[in-house]
Amino acid sequence: MTGIRAGGPIGRPLLLAAPASLWIALFTLAPFVLLVAVSFWVSGYYGTRPDFSLSNYARIFQNELYGLQLLKTLRIALVSTLLALVLAYPVAWFISRQALRMKTLLILVLFIPFWVNYVVRAFVWLPILGRSGAINSALLRLGVIDTPVDGLLYSEGAVIVGLVYVYTLFMTLPILLTLERIDENVLDAARDLGAAPLQVFFRVVLPLSWPGALAGCVMVFLLTLSAYVTPQLLGGPSGLMFGNLIASQFLGGNNWAFGAALSCVLVAVALAVLAAAGRWIKLHRVLGGAA
Amino acid sequence: MSEATSARRAAVEARRVTKRFGEVLALDDVSLEIGEGDFFALLGPSGCGKTTLLRIMGGFENPSSGELMIGGRSVLGQPPYLRPTNMIFQHLALFPHMSVFENIAFGLKMRRETPGRIRAKVEEVLALVRLQGFESRSIDQLSGGQKQRVAMARALVNGPSVLLLDEPLGALDLQLRLQMHDELRRLHRDLGSTFIFVTHDQAEAITLANRIAVMNAGRVLQVGTPEEIYNAPQTRFVAQFIGQSNLIEGRVVEALPQRRLVVECAGVRLRCRSSADMKPGAPVTLSLRYERVGLANARGGADAVAIPSLIAERTFLGSAVRITARSASGLTLVADIADLEHAGPLSVGSPVELQVSERSITVLQD
Repeated sequence: MTGIRAGGPIGRPLLLAAPASLWIALFTLAPFVLLVAVSFWVSGYYGTRPDFSLSNYARIFQNELYGLQLLKTLRIALVSTLLALVLAYPVAWFISRQALRMKTLLILVLFIPFWVNYVVRAFVWLPILGRSGAINSALLRLGVIDTPVDGLLYSEGAVIVGLVYVYTLFMTLPILLTLERIDENVLDAARDLGAAPLQVFFRVVLPLSWPGALAGCVMVFLLTLSAYVTPQLLGGPSGLMFGNLIASQFLGGNNWAFGAALSCVLVAVALAVLAAAGRWIKLHRVLGGAA
Repeated sequence: MSEATSARRAAVEARRVTKRFGEVLALDDVSLEIGEGDFFALLGPSGCGKTTLLRIMGGFENPSSGELMIGGRSVLGQPPYLRPTNMIFQHLALFPHMSVFENIAFGLKMRRETPGRIRAKVEEVLALVRLQGFESRSIDQLSGGQKQRVAMARALVNGPSVLLLDEPLGALDLQLRLQMHDELRRLHRDLGSTFIFVTHDQAEAITLANRIAVMNAGRVLQVGTPEEIYNAPQTRFVAQFIGQSNLIEGRVVEALPQRRLVVECAGVRLRCRSSADMKPGAPVTLSLRYERVGLANARGGADAVAIPSLIAERTFLGSAVRITARSASGLTLVADIADLEHAGPLSVGSPVELQVSERSITVLQD
């Protein structure tokens, strides 16, 4: 406070902040405001027209189908996030322990699948999980099963597998980054003070990399919560998510207003979950990057 | 192993320790004995292997060959968490996610002490480093000096028989360093355990340690008390690394009984005493501290040699005046003259009679 008063602001702060503010307004706020606005409009046979109607929201809250769909979507997102965390952490830990050359190589390997189109990466699970896919034929050949198992594909499980695979990089990278920032001497200090390897991990490494893990969880959770392509390809009727519901309003139903209302509900739920989580995980520390 | 010798038992003993990192020879056949209760300094320039030696003692590195004993027992292959040593790290390496209390309590928790005992011990050690009331502070709320104290407390609370200090004061400004020196001396006196610390600062080593090992290029060059190291450096490196010395090349012209020598250096005959036998005609290098060169007519002994010279350079140092003077025969000596009351102006170009006594000269062994 006193520092600002003593020196006075340099130049014109408002003008200097203008580009950033404009960027935020144009790309973040404007679309969202528009979305919220449209969710109160009314769609009819002749298109969507401005209005202030609560009918879209009324429809969502009156039909329990939407609530159930939302719950399922939350469940899928949560399970996918936790699975990604459990799978990505050891990988990130392993990579962070390597010498620089090996590390660079492994990070590159980590990225390679992500040069492949998202749809293809989701699609690749069809020939793996399908009725005559890799898993079924392997199990048949091994004699574990007599007839192909059907539930592998077009199920909630298939969607989760696909989502974890598609988004795991968003978990691995932030964890890797926080692991990288841990001072090697701090680990030595823990060992010096009597901590056996496992104790070093649980008392020092894990807490220090927690912000990265949480950042990864937030990202993967948000990405999976609004997933659309993966459940479309792998989910079948039982694996559909809220994103598919929204998409169908825009693409098939031509009901933009209702689609917008569904989107707003999803955004609200995402915010609520983040806020609830933020209460005990101190989200500002995660996003602020403080280790 | 009688009772009498056990008082000066070795706390740490390195026998022929060699450490290679790939092609690099970090430690080259180092043997060292550090007595119980010593405040021992490993002194040398960066890259001399002193930190590697310390890390071997702490269990963070294994020697490529050789033996390491702590408390009379071999500790090779023993991981850090099983050793009776604790280390204060160069950059302190405090746990950033823990409070002051949790940092200090870490070692005790690992040893599964009861919460009551942990609390009592942490209180005690916080009093020792004068940080009472800081228990719940987080690490980034502390100043440099306070972090230093937490690092000390965190190591000391475990009651290590050997405390290893890896240049822990390097990051502090001079004032704070001096303060921490007092602190370290006090802790060492109060605790009576063995302190081994690594430093590249010769002044720090001399003022803190009761024994010093000077290292260079992976070898231990000389071990001794600060007085021995300072007054009788045995090698060129030690003479130059610790304090400031004239290094004078000369030739033995006369070998007297009791290893007394007369050495001719640039036409001036100096008397000195060697620690090894020397024959006439042998080339020698003499080391002569700047401040041990005096002015003649001060109380010179019978063995003192007076050297008439001309002052070529003069620098005021505050506590002394440093002059560079050349004799008629070409012997150049640098002298720090502290006794300015009797020294005269010592201006450049004026004559001066320097005086060098036998005891102030050391005959180097390399």
